Amino acid sequence: MSSSAATPEAPRRASAGTRAWSLPSRAVAAFSGTPGLVVKIALLAIVNALALWAGTLLAQQHKWVALGALVATTLAIDAAYAARRSLPLKFLIPGLLLLVGFQVIPIVYTVNVAFTKYATGHILSKDQAIAAIKSNSLGPPENGKSYVMAPARDASGKLVLLLLDEDSGAAFAGTREKLEPLPKSDVQVGPDGITGAAGYTFVKGNELFTLDRVLSTFTVPTGGAAAIRPEGLDSALELQPSLRYEARSDRFVRIADGVVFKDNKEGSYVAAGGEDLEPGWKTGVGLDNFSRIIHSPLIREPFLRVFAWTFAFATLTVLISFAIGLLLAITLDKPGMRFQRLYRSLLIMPYAIPGFLSLLVWQGLLNDDFGVVNRIFHTNIPWLFDGNWAKVSVIMVSLWLTFPYFFLVSLGALQSIPAELKEAARVDGGGGWQVFRKVTLPLLLIVVAPLMIASFAFNFNNFGNIYLLTGGGPAAGDQTIAGSTDILISYTYKLAFASGKGSDYGLASAIAIIIFFIVATISAITFWRTRALENVN
Amino acid sequence: MLNKQTARIGTVLLALVAVALLVLAPGAPAARDSADRGAATTLRIWTDKDRRADIERIANAWASSRGVEVVVVQKEFGDIRDGLKTVAPESAPDVVIGAHDWTGQLAADGSIVSLNFKKSVKKLFPKYALDAFSYGGRQYGTPVALENVGLVVNTRLAAVPKSWADFEKRALAFKAKSPDNLAIAVPQAPAGDTYHMYPFFSGLGGYIFGKAKNGALSAQKIGVANKTFLKNASLIDKWNREGLINSKINYDVAKSAFLKGNAAYWITGPWEADTLKTSGFSFRIVQLPKIKFRSVPFLGVQGFMVTRFAAGHGVGSLAKDLVGAYIARTASQKALAAANGRFPANLAAGKQVNDNVLAQFGRAGKGGVPMPNIPQMASVWEETNAAWLKATKGAGATPARTAFATAARNIANKIASG
Repeated sequence: MSSSAATPEAPRRASAGTRAWSLPSRAVAAFSGTPGLVVKIALLAIVNALALWAGTLLAQQHKWVALGALVATTLAIDAAYAARRSLPLKFLIPGLLLLVGFQVIPIVYTVNVAFTKYATGHILSKDQAIAAIKSNSLGPPENGKSYVMAPARDASGKLVLLLLDEDSGAAFAGTREKLEPLPKSDVQVGPDGITGAAGYTFVKGNELFTLDRVLSTFTVPTGGAAAIRPEGLDSALELQPSLRYEARSDRFVRIADGVVFKDNKEGSYVAAGGEDLEPGWKTGVGLDNFSRIIHSPLIREPFLRVFAWTFAFATLTVLISFAIGLLLAITLDKPGMRFQRLYRSLLIMPYAIPGFLSLLVWQGLLNDDFGVVNRIFHTNIPWLFDGNWAKVSVIMVSLWLTFPYFFLVSLGALQSIPAELKEAARVDGGGGWQVFRKVTLPLLLIVVAPLMIASFAFNFNNFGNIYLLTGGGPAAGDQTIAGSTDILISYTYKLAFASGKGSDYGLASAIAIIIFFIVATISAITFWRTRALENVN
Repeated sequence: MLNKQTARIGTVLLALVAVALLVLAPGAPAARDSADRGAATTLRIWTDKDRRADIERIANAWASSRGVEVVVVQKEFGDIRDGLKTVAPESAPDVVIGAHDWTGQLAADGSIVSLNFKKSVKKLFPKYALDAFSYGGRQYGTPVALENVGLVVNTRLAAVPKSWADFEKRALAFKAKSPDNLAIAVPQAPAGDTYHMYPFFSGLGGYIFGKAKNGALSAQKIGVANKTFLKNASLIDKWNREGLINSKINYDVAKSAFLKGNAAYWITGPWEADTLKTSGFSFRIVQLPKIKFRSVPFLGVQGFMVTRFAAGHGVGSLAKDLVGAYIARTASQKALAAANGRFPANLAAGKQVNDNVLAQFGRAGKGGVPMPNIPQMASVWEETNAAWLKATKGAGATPARTAFATAARNIANKIASG
């Protein structure tokens, strides 16, 4: 403690001897000394204040897990920045937080959803679904009456619905016990219903709104299965439930024909005949989503076809555009060439134009009746209307968008290859092609191969290209939503947001996980293979 | 040493004070908000941009008559539907505006609640407008505005057709005048357009889904390849041979052909009303002439729905009052439909429309079929789109009979596997 090294000024003094400060120590220095300390405290205070504010909100909503995570994170941040040790941690924490927030949590969530029945018709909790089924089962019986209604209180203060039959014009007072006719002489009727009734005071304004929950359960019995229920604030209808819920056995019974709907453990009440009640609820279903991919031929067969095309699309795009890019780079690598810069700039153009713009322009150019391409060449090729031609078009456009990248990369990499090596190879009697194959290309690949893998992974999931150019179409002709040019990710998108019954997040998440494993495996294998390339050095 | 310790304690204290200050600052308004919510009853409405101002005006008029407050939140139209699935209950809307074809999905999700209109409210609307918001035999929304395509005729270039035969003859005669001319400017490319093609489909006896006994659409009764339609489908092949309809025309081509005078007939809807008004052409908008049956268009209906959150917020009755009574009124309907240039659903309001273009589109929509609002409709679009594309692509087209029979089979399979 007595050593001066423990004071806040320590880092500055310690490094004062060395003229060239390293970047980290400069950054550290900015946060030392009295002004630095003030900044630090202020920032920490802001973090704590935000956390406290978020914490109170979470506590109000009883979200205890999230609250726990928040408290733990905040304490960790405080500890890391308040303590004088753990310098590396101070630099790592922001990155770690972002990693957890934007990578880990979405992945955990996706995995979670993949094991859940979570789709259109299955987004509520079970209790909410039961309540919704009950209230939706209420409907007007045949020749049901409808009333203009006014809530009021009788002399004793009890809530009464003053009702005016829309057909007959007869007035009634409805309580939870009975419906009682009111003599005409006691009631004044205006154009908007009952305006006054002897012995009753109307419920108005704020008092009316506090009755919302009371009104929603208020029923006036009319003798039969139907009862009069308020709908809104000035109307009431005779309504009758079509279903009865039996809580003990957890099932619904249809009153008209006695059909029983039981919980099928997949988030629905289903009758023996397969009829189900809506809405269903969100529930865990284990591996169900994955087994659908394997066992349902309507998902499996297109999945395999789409997988093959995805692989072909990504591979061809990367290899051909690398070849084109490299060829152009070699051509333009000649020293002393005229207009070299101009050529280079022109070649980078496709890369500089926003991709989605190019894609939409290409869509127009390739239109087979009105497109420029067919007009120029006097051809009549169905570029986007025929399955195979559409594939050709997709790859062509994809090359157009990708080759400038490989051109740039190759150009840089070529210049980094020492001229002596080529010289030496030539001296040893190597021809131009031999030098390229044995010296230039291997050295180039060390730099470019990882980028090719990255580009492969990118194109494997290149949703934008497909979606904007062909939308996955044209239809492949079999019984599926997967079009001729759909790649896995666009197929997943269609499954998730346009499957037979609307959205199916569970199935889409399951496929997303499969895509992840495919890309991860392919990348791992190729990275492992390219490490072999480095041994050339 | 003492100095340092004091400094450290001071630091901690300072941090605590700063924390306390910063907590108080954002904490205070939050407290005020919840107090507000308790004092005056608040109803939250989600709307799109077009109608925001008018909804605010109408909802506020209603709110002040009831003594409540409304908060109108602006959203992208499509986000209203998707947002209902994921919104936190505290900030969820009680009332939303939406398209009728969301009804099935939202009702199946349990996001919206069923409404029961009294008889005097039901009478305000044509049955097809109410049907648009009914699902499984229950009503889920109050219709406000209708939209549909009509046949726009450039009356300088061609006469308003008296019959289908007359129409076909005039359209082909116009096309024959120049290689740049289109017989009918109806968009399909690149993905197909069942919506714009529907009048041709219904005119041949086609329909998408039949109805079950309780009046609800049934996904089991697919009418895309019903017998009557298949019998008439050879007419589509004839149109294809004649070049009456061509699936390679996209929306922009169709539009610019009409605006350049290269098409006398254009199938489009009220969203192009401004284009038509500023075009300087003299035009008429009619329903496509009857082919074998009335060539009615698809109807798109927009309206208001009450969400499942309203009851939880304690404003269930209020929300139903706004949607089921106030919005249905003639005056509200007139303003809301006019706000984004559509024809009002309310019958009395419809008679008062004095915008000539809208009124003509309204008449062209008579007897129209609301786009099916059941979730299974998602399996239909792509198939019927493809069937039309294949059957009307000019040379090498698939016979319509085959194309639509395939479409129907695929739809059935997709629905079964969904």
